[in-house]
Amino acid sequence: MGELIHPFIVYGFCVLGGAAVCLALPRGGRSPQVLGALAGALIAGLALLALAIKFAPVLPNVYFYIFSLIGVGAALRVITHPRPVYAALYFILTVISTGGLFVLLSAEFMAFALIIVYAGAILITYLFVIMLATQAPQEDQTEVLASYDTRAREPVAASVIGFLLLAVLTTLFFRGVDRLPAPGASDDQALLAEMPRKVETSLRVAGLLREGETVREIDTALGVVRVASGESLREIPRAEWPEGLSVSNVEALGFNLLREHPGAIEIAGVILLMAMLGAVVLSRKQVEMDEEAKRRQAQKLGQTTGGISDVTGPIGGES
Amino acid sequence: MSLMAVLAQAGSPAPMAASTLAHYLLVSALLLVIGLIGFVTRRNLIIMFLCTELMFQAAGLAAVAFGRYHLNLTGQTLVIFILTVAAAEAAMALALVVLLFRRKESLNAEEWQDLKG
Repeated sequence: MGELIHPFIVYGFCVLGGAAVCLALPRGGRSPQVLGALAGALIAGLALLALAIKFAPVLPNVYFYIFSLIGVGAALRVITHPRPVYAALYFILTVISTGGLFVLLSAEFMAFALIIVYAGAILITYLFVIMLATQAPQEDQTEVLASYDTRAREPVAASVIGFLLLAVLTTLFFRGVDRLPAPGASDDQALLAEMPRKVETSLRVAGLLREGETVREIDTALGVVRVASGESLREIPRAEWPEGLSVSNVEALGFNLLREHPGAIEIAGVILLMAMLGAVVLSRKQVEMDEEAKRRQAQKLGQTTGGISDVTGPIGGES
Repeated sequence: MSLMAVLAQAGSPAPMAASTLAHYLLVSALLLVIGLIGFVTRRNLIIMFLCTELMFQAAGLAAVAFGRYHLNLTGQTLVIFILTVAAAEAAMALALVVLLFRRKESLNAEEWQDLKG
């Protein structure tokens, strides 16, 4: 417990970081972008180092620093890169390093779900739209980038406000922080009682189950599995359980999701359905025509394509 | 020891002890602030929505870190729903962006300044 770092050091880092982001934002023409990016990386490294020194007696978790530096650096490139495609690719880098941080937080399933859903699905949609919605450059155009991509809007004011927010946030959570506890075993293992088939398979593979025996009862409080063949009961204590017999992250998460939040799943389904319908309705191009216009259109089509004059129903639809 | 083996063991207490909740919250706050600055400063509609995705990442990281701190899985469950909402938001927002691009042949957000009251 206690203050992790002196607040004024944090404010100093916030000011420097704001200045670096401000420098790194694109301004069109020659801008000190590289300088800003380098300064930002240096400051982020110094800030993390300051955090690390506080815990000098303990060996710091190197991967945390690697992943967070990559993630924050790539996020900085997302907002500073003038080309949208590169920004999207840097965002994928951020997603992957966030996935790495999730693994460090022992949330393995969410790490891979994040990478699959974000980097695999959402970002590809973004890339599609970026490539769909790009003007073809004119013949006489030397500059390929659009002017709105190369010039940031109000970089100074935005950086000041953003890093003021960061200073407030850091002040709040740097007081009285605690170390992360070791991953708990007792709570999760209670779920084993609900998975008799997993226990039985695991015991059988390990050769602890004799011929004709089945798992009768799993008592996680006492740490025994009661197996039975016919009338005779036998207990297998925890010490004899095979190594891999524990609740994994995915299983525990599944139990948590379906048992504690069934209503939220329904709502999520409705949200997805609404989004799908909304996207279809929004991107459809409906051409409104009265009877007269339809007939004229039909005649025109008949002339140009030669023969098909019987066009009925609304003209248009998706395009 | 290979990288994956080390990563797989990262949940064990020894390497974990070095980082506190505040480390993860700091990274989360940084991502949030960077996303916010990007949303305000960039004028490309697609990049603006990309910045909201950055802020979603920050929220998810904070949720998982808090869940890890309290040793329950609600934070990770929340991230599942964050992913759902992010996917829905991306579909809707990109449909809107395509629609807006068709009108003005430009992704510049300032083209739509006359919409403000």
